[in-house]
Amino acid sequence: MKELLKKLSEEFGPSGYEDRVRSVIREYIERDLPKNCEIAEDRVGNLYFHVINRDKPRLMINAHMDEVGFMVKGITEDGFLRFGCVGGMNPLVLGAKRVVSERGIKGIISAKPIHLLTNDEKKQLPKVDDMFIDIGATSKEDAEKYADIGDYFIFDSGYVEYGDGFIKCKALDDRHGCAIMCKLIDAIKQGADTEYDLWFAFTCREEISYSSARCASEYVNPDYALVIESKAVQDIYGVDDEKKVCILGDGAIVSFMDNSTVYDKDMVNKLISICKKNNIPYQLNKYISGGNDSSAIQKSICGVRVGLISAPSRYIHSRANVVKYTDLEAMYEIALGLIKE
Amino acid sequence: MDFIKESLKELCSLMTVSGFEKKSRTRLFEIARQYFDEVSEDSFGNFVFVKKSLNNNAPRLMIDAHFDMVGMMVTDILEGGFLSVTNIGGLDTRILPSAEVTVYSKREIYGLISSIPPHLSKSGSKSSVPTLEELYIDTGYSVDELKELVPVGAPVVINGEYTELQNGFVAAASLDDKACVCAVFDAVRRISAEELKYDIYVTVSAQEETGKCGAALSACRIRPQMAIITDVNFGAIEGDKDYDSIVCGKGASVDISALTDRKLTRGVMRLLDKEGVQYQRICEPSYTYTNNDLVSVTGEGIPTVLMSIPLRSMHTPVETVCLKDIRSLADILIRVAYTEKTDLEAI
Repeated sequence: MKELLKKLSEEFGPSGYEDRVRSVIREYIERDLPKNCEIAEDRVGNLYFHVINRDKPRLMINAHMDEVGFMVKGITEDGFLRFGCVGGMNPLVLGAKRVVSERGIKGIISAKPIHLLTNDEKKQLPKVDDMFIDIGATSKEDAEKYADIGDYFIFDSGYVEYGDGFIKCKALDDRHGCAIMCKLIDAIKQGADTEYDLWFAFTCREEISYSSARCASEYVNPDYALVIESKAVQDIYGVDDEKKVCILGDGAIVSFMDNSTVYDKDMVNKLISICKKNNIPYQLNKYISGGNDSSAIQKSICGVRVGLISAPSRYIHSRANVVKYTDLEAMYEIALGLIKE
Repeated sequence: MDFIKESLKELCSLMTVSGFEKKSRTRLFEIARQYFDEVSEDSFGNFVFVKKSLNNNAPRLMIDAHFDMVGMMVTDILEGGFLSVTNIGGLDTRILPSAEVTVYSKREIYGLISSIPPHLSKSGSKSSVPTLEELYIDTGYSVDELKELVPVGAPVVINGEYTELQNGFVAAASLDDKACVCAVFDAVRRISAEELKYDIYVTVSAQEETGKCGAALSACRIRPQMAIITDVNFGAIEGDKDYDSIVCGKGASVDISALTDRKLTRGVMRLLDKEGVQYQRICEPSYTYTNNDLVSVTGEGIPTVLMSIPLRSMHTPVETVCLKDIRSLADILIRVAYTEKTDLEAI
């Protein structure tokens, strides 16, 4: 799965421009397509893999394809690009970072150097409005050859394995979910049975209020949904234990609640029982924070019973998302267990 | 320009955190031996390279560019595989979260700088900039493994790989001051010994970022009749006053300060004017905050000229310069090296 994870995570795909990620996934899941399976795309760009079992209850498994990024809002007379964030980001992770555009133009996020700030300014958090993307243009006219208003940029930050089984890349949130779903589809192709009319939904624009997952839910009309996601945790030195949320390497996170959703109790129990039965490492989230596509799915149609498994992830929405590989394996096992139940 | 591009890329890849410049001595010497008659180092860690003129009694011209770069040092090994660090040189902690680093110990260890989002910050303040004490290096190892791997005191580089932008602009860590080292090498490489009026003593000096005494110690030994200090200066960004900044891509600058030699500085500018060489000017009325300030008062005093390459995003892993400005500084250095000191002062 690592090879696929690297390819997916390094691919360009900010919210609203998931096309390239979708192509990579589509190419992957189309191979050796079994007769009882079909592939579809909807009008907002969500991609589906359907294992046809029409008389069975319908389960949708979902991961989002998009990542946080930047959009060019304007070009200054000097040829610098003013930008806004696509998705939520802390300005503290933006300064002096490499970025790359949809056209492959490289740039850096720049601002006034610290030497030239007043003492008051040094104490203030940087503001996106004070930053710009420097692509090496010599004037506005020159910059317009390389970028236009509305162009997307993303973090230019590749896949690295480090320490004892940790992985760093931009966009691991939620390409690891996409990779796990691709591997589940592989398992189906290799003969894994399912008791569901099973849909895998690769969704768009999660980073902007989970907006396309609602469409996916309307399209599929599931009885149950399992969301595969990243969960921001802070298991780093200096953080009080109760605020660490969860620990990387302690297994998949099964959530009962976060800021967007109270998860279906039966789903939570089922996920936990799968873990216990199969000795899969899991942990419960110990701090209520964050949200994801499950919120939109749960409140769609006439209500969907939704569960969540997530990878404990450090530094999400930055250029350096971090996950531990063993947690991803656990998530895969849980989802596979659910499909077979 | 190919020489500049290739050698700059290599220079930027060398680990030269202030105080640890010697780690890259071997490779620097290999490069320098191609262009210089003598290579040496002193007890402080400065590297001195000599290019002789054909004239036996030529005056000594010192040209300085500092080799060191800002970085960090490991201060403790912590639970969960984290390292606490202190800064070496001036660091902007606002750009550190999520940066990648290399810890230099028995082997090179990859790490990430952690961050705590404001809503989980200890101080609870959503508007405060993290101090270095609140940031840790995430290595992904257990504390026991880490204690085996990393000693306290190990230097840390903030990774900033060489990245090409448009129009010959490049971004990399340590372009301050490797851009100038590159320019000096490019100049010496192209200088003809026949026309050279000086014995050139190039100091690729240590610890500019941590006290600026390296170059002055070299100057003390060399006792040059004249010195040119080369460093980077702030490249203009939107909103900067045009009289207070130099512009990337418009050539190197001659810096004018009370701490540089007035006659020589004006002489250099007149020379460049006369020969139609493009350059920029910037005033640093009192301190220049470069090696110039100590070199100029070394020994019985050394007449200095300060020249700069404009650089954006200073002291970050994405320092940005235009390669044209490196070539421009090299061209200026060559013209000066071909002109007698007395002629410069007389112009």
